[in-house]
Amino acid sequence: MTPPVRRPLRERPPDVADAPLNGIIWAMPRGTSEVSEPMFFVLAALRAGPLHGHAISKSIKELSSGRVQPSVGTLYGILERLNERGVITVDREETVNGRNRRYFRITDEGRTLVEAEARRMQEAASLVLRPIT
Amino acid sequence: MTATMPQPMTSLERRYRRLLRAYPRQYRAAHGDELVDVLLESAGPGRNVPVPKEAWGLLVGGVRSRIVHLATGSAWEDGLHLGITAVAAANLAALLPYAGAVPLWTLLSALALLAVLRGRLTVAFPLTLVAGVKAVAVAGGWQMFEPTLMPVYPSVLTGRALFQDSSPFAVAFGYAVVLLGLLVLMSRRRETPRIRSWWWPAAVVAVAWAGPSWMEEGSWYPLSLSRLATEAAAFGLAVAGCYLARDHRWALASGIYLLVRSIELSMNADSLTRQHLAYWGVLAVLALGAASVPFRRRRHCLD
Repeated sequence: MTPPVRRPLRERPPDVADAPLNGIIWAMPRGTSEVSEPMFFVLAALRAGPLHGHAISKSIKELSSGRVQPSVGTLYGILERLNERGVITVDREETVNGRNRRYFRITDEGRTLVEAEARRMQEAASLVLRPIT
Repeated sequence: MTATMPQPMTSLERRYRRLLRAYPRQYRAAHGDELVDVLLESAGPGRNVPVPKEAWGLLVGGVRSRIVHLATGSAWEDGLHLGITAVAAANLAALLPYAGAVPLWTLLSALALLAVLRGRLTVAFPLTLVAGVKAVAVAGGWQMFEPTLMPVYPSVLTGRALFQDSSPFAVAFGYAVVLLGLLVLMSRRRETPRIRSWWWPAAVVAVAWAGPSWMEEGSWYPLSLSRLATEAAAFGLAVAGCYLARDHRWALASGIYLLVRSIELSMNADSLTRQHLAYWGVLAVLALGAASVPFRRRRHCLD
């Protein structure tokens, strides 16, 4: 497997010059432009709309074809961190079976971040997948 | 908001709730039911024992949540308070085996630690001052307040006399660090210090206990295995805290405690063995580890 491509600090990639995401991703310190895989899948799951914990867990499993299945403790740790950093937020709360249930929603910042990450991975993949001339 | 009736608790739910105790009480109160809801929905039908992966995830998540919860407020004020709490606990541990012979001074030292633990700085200061003056007087062989002089013989926790292997300077240094820390914290007054855990009194007993023995018979300055294990565990927790929270408060506390222990060891420099140096080395490496791990490189931008 090809290691991920790391870019120098604050250098904007020439082929994504029109991307509105550079403010977030390319201004970050060297080597920190990736979100972790479970975080990426959480953000990807929430792009479809607000979801509660169990639905996020199921969505991650589907999106990753069963490869990524964080435990509930890990998932909620990720949700709390993403919430603290403002990339997701609590959309609403419901009570089901007498228990509280939070629905999480991705914020504009989170959407920008996950799209930038997808673009970065796409660039990295294209280095390997494009025909060699 | 949708509302339906709560269902009776199953054995699986009871077990998951037990595991949820790893989380801070405030987090459990706010989100414990939500986590249980997801855990029960994820569990297969007929299951009444937690899935090992989920159990481990709850334990790790709980510890992480506790540490992150602790890493709030001023890092240096909290670290200083934690450091003087540890030194005050060690000061009490030095007196505890002799509680039968010097009950008043042990009680004052215990009350001083209690006041530090509860964040009552203005109460802790005079108690520490009086207990410290008496401890230094006993260590130096000077009469102060009442006629107790060395040797003060012990109870079941140790076979050695009070301050037999210490010096007035080392005893004074331990109390002076606590007093100085209290003065600094009182002068700041920005926020009330955090109320510390009730595990501290248990640590005092473990540090006070002279066994199990691991040094050669007749060693001039013996260190107990229980003390070593307690201090190493506490320093290890400090490393974990600094690592997970990227915060230096636990490193500061470790450094303050290590300074006091180093002074005490240096007073016995002539009789130190390789075991003493190994003991100091373990604490020093862990303290340095705690100081350096917050600088670890971020793997992800949301770490």
